[in-house]
Amino acid sequence: MSPLLWTLVVPVVTAALGVVPLPRRMKEANLVAGLAATFALSLATAREVLGGGVPRAFGEALRVDALSALVLVLSAFVGLLSGLYSVGYLRRNEERGLVSPPRRREFDALVPLFVFAMLLVSVSNNLGVLWIAVELTTLASVFLIAFHNRGTSLEAAWKFLVLGSLGLAFALLGTVLVYASARGSLGEGMSGLEWTRLVAAARELHPLTLKLGVVFALIGYGTKAGLAPMHTWKPDAYREAPSPAAVLMAVGMLNGAVYCLLRVHLIARAALGPEFSGDLLLALGLLSVVVATPFILIQWNLKRLLAYSSVEHVGIMALGLGLGAEAATFGALLHMTYHTLAKPLAFFSAGTLAQLHRSSDLDDIGSGTLARAPMASALFLLATLMLTGSPPFGLFFSEMIILGAGFRGPHVFAISVFLASLVLLFCGFFYQAGRVVLGTPPDSPTRARSEPERLDVGAATTLVTAAIAVLSAFYLPQGLLDLIHAAVKVVEGGP
Amino acid sequence: MAVTTDELVILCAAGMLVTAYLMVGQKALFVAIRLYAVQSLLLGVVAAAMASTDHRVHLFVSAALTIGLKGALIPWFLMRVIKRIGIHREIEPFVNIPSSLLICLGLTVVGYRVSTGLAEGDRGVTHHVIGVSLSMLLMGLFLMVSRRKAVTQILALLTVENAVFLVAFGATSGMPLVVELGISFDVIVAVLVLGVLVHRIVDRFDSMDVSRLSRLRG
Repeated sequence: MSPLLWTLVVPVVTAALGVVPLPRRMKEANLVAGLAATFALSLATAREVLGGGVPRAFGEALRVDALSALVLVLSAFVGLLSGLYSVGYLRRNEERGLVSPPRRREFDALVPLFVFAMLLVSVSNNLGVLWIAVELTTLASVFLIAFHNRGTSLEAAWKFLVLGSLGLAFALLGTVLVYASARGSLGEGMSGLEWTRLVAAARELHPLTLKLGVVFALIGYGTKAGLAPMHTWKPDAYREAPSPAAVLMAVGMLNGAVYCLLRVHLIARAALGPEFSGDLLLALGLLSVVVATPFILIQWNLKRLLAYSSVEHVGIMALGLGLGAEAATFGALLHMTYHTLAKPLAFFSAGTLAQLHRSSDLDDIGSGTLARAPMASALFLLATLMLTGSPPFGLFFSEMIILGAGFRGPHVFAISVFLASLVLLFCGFFYQAGRVVLGTPPDSPTRARSEPERLDVGAATTLVTAAIAVLSAFYLPQGLLDLIHAAVKVVEGGP
Repeated sequence: MAVTTDELVILCAAGMLVTAYLMVGQKALFVAIRLYAVQSLLLGVVAAAMASTDHRVHLFVSAALTIGLKGALIPWFLMRVIKRIGIHREIEPFVNIPSSLLICLGLTVVGYRVSTGLAEGDRGVTHHVIGVSLSMLLMGLFLMVSRRKAVTQILALLTVENAVFLVAFGATSGMPLVVELGISFDVIVAVLVLGVLVHRIVDRFDSMDVSRLSRLRG
């Protein structure tokens, strides 16, 4: 079997083993080893792509070009980080009796399954398979959100599932309409849904049907990506999901959904010209950045803060892709990469802070955590620096590239609004993070009852994540850069 | 006089629209579930009719799947859910029923108007089928935002799903079989997950009034 197939089989096997009642250490070893193997295999697949190959499976249903390979590697990377962090996270929660054995089995099965679905999204060349894979990510994450079985968890899971399914029903209608628009030229059967053939035959697609299909598909997958105004499930879901699962959703699912948006956009661009779907992406992206701003300023919960930051970042990516200039596309894909490297740090350090205070609400955590949990607090501050796009970290450069490309293009007004929102977001996020980490500790000891910080597996994982994120600002592996450049070529219609 | 396939398809599509209106127009949950079952059966007939005129074997499989899963299995499962939790009626919706019906009338007009722009959408079967499905889609969305019970929201979601499949059968003679099998599998799992979630919500809140799920804001 090719590395591509192994990349998909290994997480499924890991998930199957996760249900088997094993001793705790075996379970942990299974999860981490499975996800590490998946990451290694995804690297092997990407190497094949860089060498000029195009790995395929099941006819043309699965096909890995450079864009797919980039998303594949990023998703597998996040999967591995999440698996590593979950070891420490679950140990802490099990000590407090918060995790029952059935829940633990659910977790061990659903996390690798989620990773599998994310990887399947990134390698689907068939719009039907793509839809099925995205729906799988939704179903795998529902019980992860409901993991703690609190009233609020169930509320978040319900909202997520109803809104997500509705979004996916839209995406399905979009897929059906795209298929209908191609019926005259590509005929019926699997090939009528293949992305490569749809792009090649773009000129012969029925324009009005395609237009309607593209609108439905962009709204549908935009719901999954959490673009405003379809982002309302996001803060609830991120707050309730355990941190290792939240990071899978905030980075992996987000990248996958952006990938879906991009594939649909490319079909529309080839058939209808760059303005139609590009402007839609631009508008949704700008709206997301603008909408996130006030909610960050008034936020009362640490993880919801991260959720609105994720609404902002997906907005930036959509905006960059919508601009349509080659530099902006490069900026958006670079942004995706750096966001993937920085966001896990924020979730892990915030997750530790929340665990130490047994709540992620800012009121319960209280201000001045630096005195109580110096390491997690310092790392959270570092993550804040990265996520707000401060130099010298990567997101600063990607945002500058997008801004530069934007000001050279025709959408100067939109980019000005975008820039203003970025400045506001920078201030808002820093205000919140500064209040939590650096504020004066509360006088009454009851408000800030917390456990002492320990250097356990979870803390070690967070440190490693931080090291990778900092290092990436100064040095990206040549292979990854080549992959990004090759992905830009795919988007710009190269080989 | 023999009924032609085109007439049969249009008749069934119209029937589906009627079931959607009836669903909006009443409150008893078990009636709503039966209406959904009838709607799915009609969808199955559309698929079978298209299959027999166009001689597409895979559409017969789709028809059988639709009738078996959506016409029987899902309604049976939802009935079991409401029996176990013992809640049978929708309480007063956010929008009262006469105004709901009027709004849905407006939505139908919108759906028909949009459908005229589509491929072959300005005439014959395709026009009616796409018009009906877009109307049903909008009505499903409306049901979703205007009702409070979790089961009604599931039914609204499934109505939207049926509308999408009506386009798939009526306008494109069905998706490729592999894709359709995958989609059906996903829909079943989604309904199971929703059912389990309703159980957990009722256990937790002693109610499946989703308007109580409103602690998370901001």
